[in-house]
Amino acid sequence: MSDLAAAGVMADAAAAFRVLVVDDDPDMADYLARLLTKEGMAADTVPNGEAAIARIAVAPPDLVLLDVMLPGADGFAVCERLKSQPTSAMIPIVLVTALEDTESRVRGIHAGADDFLSKPVRREELIARVKTLRRLHETRRELEARRLGAEIQHKETLRKAFARYVSPRLAERIISELAEDGAPFRREPQRVSVVALFADLRGFTRLTETTSVAEVVGMLNEYFQAITDAAYRHEGTIFSMAGDSLLVGFNVPFPQADAAQRACRTARDMVEGFAPVLQKWIGRGGPSTGVGIGIASGEAILGNVGSAHYMSHTIIGDAVNTAARLMQMARAGEVLIARPVYEAAPGIFPAERMAPRGGLALRGKSEATEVCSIRI
Amino acid sequence: MNDGAWKVTIAKDLEDLIPTFLRNRNKELDTLRAALSAADFEQLRQLGHRMKGVGISYGFDQVSAIGKSIEEGARRGDRASLEASVKQYGDYLAKVQVTYE
Repeated sequence: MSDLAAAGVMADAAAAFRVLVVDDDPDMADYLARLLTKEGMAADTVPNGEAAIARIAVAPPDLVLLDVMLPGADGFAVCERLKSQPTSAMIPIVLVTALEDTESRVRGIHAGADDFLSKPVRREELIARVKTLRRLHETRRELEARRLGAEIQHKETLRKAFARYVSPRLAERIISELAEDGAPFRREPQRVSVVALFADLRGFTRLTETTSVAEVVGMLNEYFQAITDAAYRHEGTIFSMAGDSLLVGFNVPFPQADAAQRACRTARDMVEGFAPVLQKWIGRGGPSTGVGIGIASGEAILGNVGSAHYMSHTIIGDAVNTAARLMQMARAGEVLIARPVYEAAPGIFPAERMAPRGGLALRGKSEATEVCSIRI
Repeated sequence: MNDGAWKVTIAKDLEDLIPTFLRNRNKELDTLRAALSAADFEQLRQLGHRMKGVGISYGFDQVSAIGKSIEEGARRGDRASLEASVKQYGDYLAKVQVTYE
């Protein structure tokens, strides 16, 4: 059931108005219950305050008719207790008191009673008071259902908007973790194990110099459509999109035991998914280009980077830097994979397509990085 | 009091509750007599208070009226008044005739 449907069910539930009658006199309890039942309400009876509290905890009614003079905890104490608990504070309570007992009414007001009924109980008065409280109760529930519906609608709008800029799963997380003031990403930065994938369009800079602005934007959109489709298909999280490059993280922010396989499949699908786009470009005289991809694994820091004016929720660290360097070295249609990732994802690429590149000296790294090259 | 004073007309929708109601009133009468013998004025007051609340609610105004006099007599510790009220209650319960409409 959707959240919106659930809100509708809440509104419908108002039709079954349930009253709990608390009175130690069984004749009075039966009498009140009978009058309420005649009016189409569901009435239940309990003989004392303890039983009332226990019943309300498991089956909260829509209204409580509470006699003041009860054995054990009296009506005031029961009323105070129910009004002090969040789960029962909103249930209307009608205290049943003696007609002349003004002192009881004052105590009842202090205890949080919503209304009073005098004994002897007159049929017309009982029905009038309960109906009034029922209307108020139903109005409140309807308003609550509307508020809930509006909140769900707002979150849905936010989710749709976010999902255009970040992966759907990350969008869900952002929405669910929104602070009360609406600020996302309140979590402290955390160290995570990631598989980072960087992709870009080889020769894109030359392309921008020789193609009209409108055409470049259209081509970029086609390119990003193909490669982001692949990223989402394998549940990667897109952390940045700049120029023609894309950073996708796996095992972050959600654990993925098969993160290496997901990254390799994503790389394969990016290259294959972009191939028809490239054929179309070439067919109309466009440039011969291709996607270059770098993949590496290791520790990274997940957190908010930026300033009060501009913030980016991203991953930073050695794995990301290595993936970026590999991407820069990759040719069109080539995937350069750090060997630990390749070995953790056997069978994704046909063996004949893999060529070991040996230990490469990457800028900023003191030790050589063992790299596997895949031509797709 | 004449016979007409003990005739009570009760709402039809309460008819099935009345036999139990009257059984409970007779048990109440026994308890009142025991409390009176024991001079338990607090119990008499509580029973009178209960009668006062439940009587008129059902349509037995006389139960409420007697209950009120028992509650007040118990507050005063007025044994003679209480004895009279309990006797009156016994007479009433023995003679009351109920019709429904």
